Amino acid sequence: MLIFSVFKTLTDQQVTVELKNDLSITGVLKSVDQFLNIRLDNITVLDEARHPHMMAVKNCFIRGSVVRYVQLPAEHVDTQLLEDATRREAQNQIKR
Amino acid sequence: MDESPPPPDNQSPPPPLPPTGHTGSPTDFLKGVVGKKVIVRLNSGVDYRGVLSCLDGYMNIALEQTEEHVEGKITNRYGDAFIRGNNVLYISAAEEL
Amino acid sequence: MDPSSSGIQEPFDLIRLSLSERVFVKLRGDREMTGILHVRALKHMMGHMNLILSDVEETIMIVNEGEQATVSVAKRKMGMLFVRGDGVILVSPPSRTQ
Repeated sequence: MLIFSVFKTLTDQQVTVELKNDLSITGVLKSVDQFLNIRLDNITVLDEARHPHMMAVKNCFIRGSVVRYVQLPAEHVDTQLLEDATRREAQNQIKR
Repeated sequence: MDESPPPPDNQSPPPPLPPTGHTGSPTDFLKGVVGKKVIVRLNSGVDYRGVLSCLDGYMNIALEQTEEHVEGKITNRYGDAFIRGNNVLYISAAEEL
Repeated sequence: MDPSSSGIQEPFDLIRLSLSERVFVKLRGDREMTGILHVRALKHMMGHMNLILSDVEETIMIVNEGEQATVSVAKRKMGMLFVRGDGVILVSPPSRTQ
């Protein structure tokens, strides 16, 4: 699964995870699994005043299904590689 | 539940066929509307009218020459549009099959 | 009409053909965005329609409830974005829009 691989290459990079409840969490991506569950370290929340209960939280595990977006560090994503891999995956799918 | 199902009534004729329409299965309907003008209604109530280029078992839909209708008004036009199937309430044929 | 004649045999082909093009995405929660499409996930997988877009501009429609409901629009830009598929309603390549 291509997107899972993308996330794996971004471990130890800083990402911002936006949840479906509008909470935005920035932190260092520690790990990710096939469901795109995400573990973040050293986190900060975008609007801390609105989410005071998050101030003491330093790391978290985010269930994949509650994620709306993840903002990725563009300089660490090789888009050409991804497009080629997507086309290859689509080809394999047709053959199957 | 002590009621047993009613005995089959041999007197009654078989249910009449729908007067004009299609007696095929849902799958036959879906095969039949490919390439035809359709109205796709989403759960949100938004309608998409366009030519159905293809669809799959998840009801993911590709439409051409699509118009987006919200409350009777055209709100957008797309040359091609892909609709994720989980949002689809129904697909309706907008021309003779 | 034979759909295979157009080169598009199934809905996902439409998106494969849009790779590295700017696409328009309509999302749940009155959100829309355009961005350059780089990846879309395989079908037959949980959460398919996951996307990775770059140079994203998002538009959020915010309906202010009240005596007279008004709609305000918030926009923001993001460099590289993963979009989880379950929020996606519609994807369209606007370059081919009439």
